[in-house]
Amino acid sequence: MHILQLSLRNTGRNKQRTAVTVLSMAFACAIMILFSSMMAGMIQGSERQIVEMNMGDIQIHQQGYRDDPDIYKRITDTAHILQQLAQQGIRAAPRLYAFGLMATHGTSSGAHIRGIDMQREKTVTKLYQHVAVGSWLDEAKPKAVVLGKKIAATLGVTIGDELIFVGQSADGFMANDIFFVQGILKVVSDDIDRSAVFMAEQTFRELMAIPSGAHEIVLRRPSPQTDLTQLTTQVQNLVPEYEVKNWKELMPAIARLLETADIQSLIMMSITYIAVATIILNAMLMTVFERMHEFGIMKAIGVRPWQIVRLIYAETLIQTLLASAIALIAGWWVAHYFSIHGIDMSAIMDGSISMGGLAFDPVWYTYVTYESLFTPIVFLIAMAMVAVMYPAWKAAWMKPIDALHYR
Amino acid sequence: MRFFWGILFALIIANTAWANNSRTSVILAEVDNLWRGSSSHAIATLKIQTQHYSRTMTLELWSKGKEKSLTKVLKPLREKGTITLKSGNYIYTYLPKTDRTIRLSSGMMMGAWMGSHLTNDDLVKESRLEDDFDAEISFEGKRNGQNIIEFTLLPKEAAAVVWGKIILEVEAERHLPIREIFYDEDMQVSRTFTFTGLKKMAGKIRPSIMHIVPADKPDEFTEFIFETLTLNVPINDSFFNKSALKRHKR
Repeated sequence: MHILQLSLRNTGRNKQRTAVTVLSMAFACAIMILFSSMMAGMIQGSERQIVEMNMGDIQIHQQGYRDDPDIYKRITDTAHILQQLAQQGIRAAPRLYAFGLMATHGTSSGAHIRGIDMQREKTVTKLYQHVAVGSWLDEAKPKAVVLGKKIAATLGVTIGDELIFVGQSADGFMANDIFFVQGILKVVSDDIDRSAVFMAEQTFRELMAIPSGAHEIVLRRPSPQTDLTQLTTQVQNLVPEYEVKNWKELMPAIARLLETADIQSLIMMSITYIAVATIILNAMLMTVFERMHEFGIMKAIGVRPWQIVRLIYAETLIQTLLASAIALIAGWWVAHYFSIHGIDMSAIMDGSISMGGLAFDPVWYTYVTYESLFTPIVFLIAMAMVAVMYPAWKAAWMKPIDALHYR
Repeated sequence: MRFFWGILFALIIANTAWANNSRTSVILAEVDNLWRGSSSHAIATLKIQTQHYSRTMTLELWSKGKEKSLTKVLKPLREKGTITLKSGNYIYTYLPKTDRTIRLSSGMMMGAWMGSHLTNDDLVKESRLEDDFDAEISFEGKRNGQNIIEFTLLPKEAAAVVWGKIILEVEAERHLPIREIFYDEDMQVSRTFTFTGLKKMAGKIRPSIMHIVPADKPDEFTEFIFETLTLNVPINDSFFNKSALKRHKR
């Protein structure tokens, strides 16, 4: 008896039943693919939000700068440090910070101005891609500034508007100049949204009378596989007189949150999977028990129990593979769609979600990985195999006379 | 009879308390009006010494009443023409480099004024000792060979004041200020003003030097030195208009 042939014929015989079983499994599996991609997207998105946007992997500061951000607490030998880091293949960018007042007609707001080395910064963070309106700084326009979202709203400015900065330069004089708004950022983090004003490094140096040095050096590890703790020690040995901290030390609350996110996502997944398993089990039980009478006849004409088990398993496998194919295509398509367009949560999340000073984009992007695609499929097949065990056993070893009378 | 004496005694107590209070406010008003009168014009030198820089500026100042004052930088050249206008609770700054006038936000009030150890808030809160504080005489007599009166000023409950306490020492006879110590909200000394350089200005002996030392940076100071002072000069109110600021840049 050709089991494969027989099972194919069986699956084709009651098309409606097969379709219902296959589609319910495919639907459940597609949901799992979407859900896995969403969880992967959340974890990946949060980490990227922190590290790639502004934090970098590691930061170097003058001792005590973070507690008291004094304009005079600078890293003095910036060029030397950057060169040494470059030799070790570590991307790095210097930054300058100062506080002051940004004013426009009628309103003003405290501002945290940030001098950016435009070329180096692009190798380290992706902030330049995160502009909501207008464009990022460009070297040809020294008076251009890019603002955080909330400070732009506070000042009520849009692209091209004039801003006046007043502050105190390092030599004690009054620093003041006119700038114009070149770009406004999307949501990044609370402090950037509320007060950040980005400008070119040279503009900052002239404005604040700081010819050399930097307040912060931001580093990125050579590859995502580089061990963060080890690299931190390595950099610390390079610049023993400065404070070297990685982002997990700089934002311990967020780091812990993300570390536990794996476990959280596992728990969430298990719950979803259990729900899905119930659907599959139900479908399998239905298909087998509905055909008890038929199995009884097969037994009566001499088909052996193991042959029936194999037949049922073959049929299940055919249906599951069919469901997997549909689920893979549908799930992939939906997950991929949301990885580009995102799921807009702003209606229920009210603007932006903020955790521990870190603002999250209300648009939730999925992240499609091999894992998020194939784990649900492997699970589906395994689940179907387990679910069909009981009905198959029941059909195979049932007395033919009982099976014939089975209703 | 005992009742009558009781009433009389209570009246005497009340009367002394009132007399004391009025004496306190008279002296405080005297201190407040020492350099301003109903209106004033002055030329002053501002010396600032910090760990990172030291600089000297020449300023021209006008004031009218408690609410209005205008400060214009004469020297150095780099900042010449910078004007700070205080009108009521607002501070406007005219910046010649940008040719713009901006209003300082409340968030900037504790920021340094002109890079000195004075805050913008000092300009606004100037001469408000009487309005914002409850004063009482906490010491009277000889200290360092000088007859003095010491006042302790505690902020009134409703007053928007950043200080926890102010101690003011004045000369007992001439009521000239000697020293003023500002305490922060944790009752730690925050900064000390010392008044020296007694000199006859506008017809009366007055301290011409105000020396300010921040408590956390004892090596730093700001010194405000009156070069000339004229009191009760006629100045029009419109002089202190925001819209008139640009006119001053000449």
